[in-house]
Amino acid sequence: MSKQNAIQLSGVSKTFDGFKALTDADFTAKWGEVHALLGENGAGKSSLMNIVAGLYGPEGGSLFIDDNPIKLKGPKEAAKLGIGMVHQHFKLVMPFTVAENILLNLGHIQTSGLYRERLRRVSDDIRAMAKRIGFEIDPDTRVDQLSIAEQQRVEILKVLLAGAKVLILDEPTAVLTEEEAERLLTTVQGFAREGAAVILVTHKMNDVLRYADQVTIMRAGQTVKSLKPDSVSVDELIRLTVGESTSDQSATPEKRAPGAPYLQVKGLTSTGAPRALNHLDLTLNKGEIYGLAGVGGNGQSELANALMGIPEPVEGQMEIAGEGDLAGFDAARRRAIGIASIPADRYGAALAGPLSIADNFALGDIHSGRYGPFWYLKTRAIEADAAEAVRQFDVQGVRSLKQKAALLSGGNAQKLVIAREFNHPPKLVLAHSPSRGLDVKATEAVRDRLRAARDDGAAVLLISEDLDEVMAMADRIGVMSAGRIVAEFSQPADRQAIGQAMVNHV
Amino acid sequence: MILGLLLSGAILVVAGVPAGELLNEFVILTLFDAQSLKSVLFQASPLIMVGLAGCLAFRAKFWNLGLEGQMIFGAIGATAVTIWDIGSPGMRLPLMMAVAMVGGLLWAVAPVLLKLKLQVNEIVSTLMLNYIAINVLLHLMYGPWKDPKDAFPYSPKYDSFELLPELGSGLSLSIPIAIVIALIVLWFVNISRAGLYLRFVDKSPKVAGAVGVPVAKTILIAVLFSGALAGLAGLMVAAGQEGRLTHSFYVGYGFSGILIAFLARNNPIAATCAALLIATLFVSGRSLQVFYQIPFAMVQLIQAVLVICVASSDFFIRHRIRRVQGGD
Repeated sequence: MSKQNAIQLSGVSKTFDGFKALTDADFTAKWGEVHALLGENGAGKSSLMNIVAGLYGPEGGSLFIDDNPIKLKGPKEAAKLGIGMVHQHFKLVMPFTVAENILLNLGHIQTSGLYRERLRRVSDDIRAMAKRIGFEIDPDTRVDQLSIAEQQRVEILKVLLAGAKVLILDEPTAVLTEEEAERLLTTVQGFAREGAAVILVTHKMNDVLRYADQVTIMRAGQTVKSLKPDSVSVDELIRLTVGESTSDQSATPEKRAPGAPYLQVKGLTSTGAPRALNHLDLTLNKGEIYGLAGVGGNGQSELANALMGIPEPVEGQMEIAGEGDLAGFDAARRRAIGIASIPADRYGAALAGPLSIADNFALGDIHSGRYGPFWYLKTRAIEADAAEAVRQFDVQGVRSLKQKAALLSGGNAQKLVIAREFNHPPKLVLAHSPSRGLDVKATEAVRDRLRAARDDGAAVLLISEDLDEVMAMADRIGVMSAGRIVAEFSQPADRQAIGQAMVNHV
Repeated sequence: MILGLLLSGAILVVAGVPAGELLNEFVILTLFDAQSLKSVLFQASPLIMVGLAGCLAFRAKFWNLGLEGQMIFGAIGATAVTIWDIGSPGMRLPLMMAVAMVGGLLWAVAPVLLKLKLQVNEIVSTLMLNYIAINVLLHLMYGPWKDPKDAFPYSPKYDSFELLPELGSGLSLSIPIAIVIALIVLWFVNISRAGLYLRFVDKSPKVAGAVGVPVAKTILIAVLFSGALAGLAGLMVAAGQEGRLTHSFYVGYGFSGILIAFLARNNPIAATCAALLIATLFVSGRSLQVFYQIPFAMVQLIQAVLVICVASSDFFIRHRIRRVQGGD
């Protein structure tokens, strides 16, 4: 059976402000296959898919949908042609309910009927679709009360209900736990078997090897190769993606003697209605990485917020050895005593997108007076330090330190955050999904920094929904479920047992 | 902006000004005639001050619509000093300035604290305080501070040493003061640490709190600074232009301040230029009134046209319009 082409792009280029994001890229995805688009951060994967979804107009080259040449005028037209994209950063209206968000997106399809009636109809559709594909989503929940993994499901439901036959998922598994990712990818594999085309933008080898029928590899704005994943070795795939062989990242850390306790959390409980945190106890020692594993939405974000000083209604104790209770410290004070935070939401809690890289960098160390007294900013000192940090942490895509931070790609923005937070050697590092959406090289760089901080005696709390990451990094592992830590393991830990703990208490 | 000026020109032509005279009237007579240039600069200094006051407050994402009220209280404070003859004649003017700044600042304290502590909307509170300020002003004009020499509702004339002195060729001291203050504001927003904090509060308030910017303190300082500048603007009108406390605040300085800050996108240098432009409009508006019987309201209309044009030009600055190849 010869399968027809669902999407075909040939010779597509795209330039942003003189920066070539895509150069002569070719791409073909067929009906009935899961097609992985593999590449590092900034390789142009998202740009290419944004062209397919009608968000960007290509410069040169052509787009065929179902073998017909098409010039898309916008995302609405793409949606009408059955192309649905789930972006890495979700496009949901936060205070709206799931049903309202999805109805909003259906504007061009269902136009008749009273609002309440349409909302009810959409809610029924959501329930039916959710049931069919095995998502548990209540259409009447407000989106801002969902975890990231749940929000992603809403996004997928949104494009499916809009009638998408070509489903583009941009880094879908970056935010999911292993089980969730497995379920999601099995589900989308099911769509492909039913005849749809699924495009999986990813940099995770495992996803590609296990679920993709075809893989296209991108590097530096060009499509390098398209092949069947089972026809090549993993090493070959990695070589094609990064252009060089990177070392195996799954080495288990050796057993280490823990230092003195540094952070002690006792009975931390949310005061709000859904009790996200429920009498959580946690002790973090100097010179160790404590990995907090668990299925998303079990209180990880709330714990991270409470520790990082992002407003979060909680009661209980968060004692820092020799400093007192964290609760009374504002973000500046926390920084002053050596707490570095790497939040999950880079542009929501760490970087001011519209401000320059230098401004964003300066804030890390401004309270110490290093960049001048209150009435005078030593711009040159800031820029020199920022330039040095950009070089040392290999932040790419920096054309000028006055450039807006929002122009950095996800991985490079994260490197900038880490460069700022580590400008002063930290005593306590709070890292929430620090390698979310990062490529192999950037992930390794981030992990090396965390390990180095640990080796310098810092206490590191690594909150991650990626079990591989926790296994590879942590000296001790805690499993979080329903707002508390239900099990603790020390290395070498039994992966199976951790998985059990994560699932059993849900 | 240029489009806005052209459009305004067209409106004036429709309103009965001969087209040929227009440029003559606006540009040549206003800017190249020494006398009118002086009056433009004269008019400009309080406008520069309120414009800067607007820039500061708006940068802190605080919609200070109470510039007028703060001006009035600045002027009332300065006048109180003159009426009660506080301080020696030599110290009188600096004291008036200080009191004017404190007056404007005090009129901004309540709304900013209400906003920071209780999340009271500052647009409403500052606007309402304007009415209170205006009525207090009227009370003083018609009541205790009425000039005993005649029955008109204004305060007794300031003594000569209470006026902003003239510099040589008829230019008032208020212009150098305005320029110095503009430089101070420029330093504040660009060079001081508070300026960096202010940028964070302006662009990403949520991130600002999370990364250690003292958000509340930054807003408080910027708004109080803004109030103090508005108070000083009040003094410039009273001691620089009128020589006494009058009704002249009604010509809409407060609104112009908001407009200037908006035209300048909260940039102090641009605000100074915008204030000069608005001052030109004020002055030429007066001559149009005299020579062509064009109502002074036309000046406000031109201001409004400018705002709309600048607001819509925002879109064109951020997005480049380009024909997409093959688009039809």
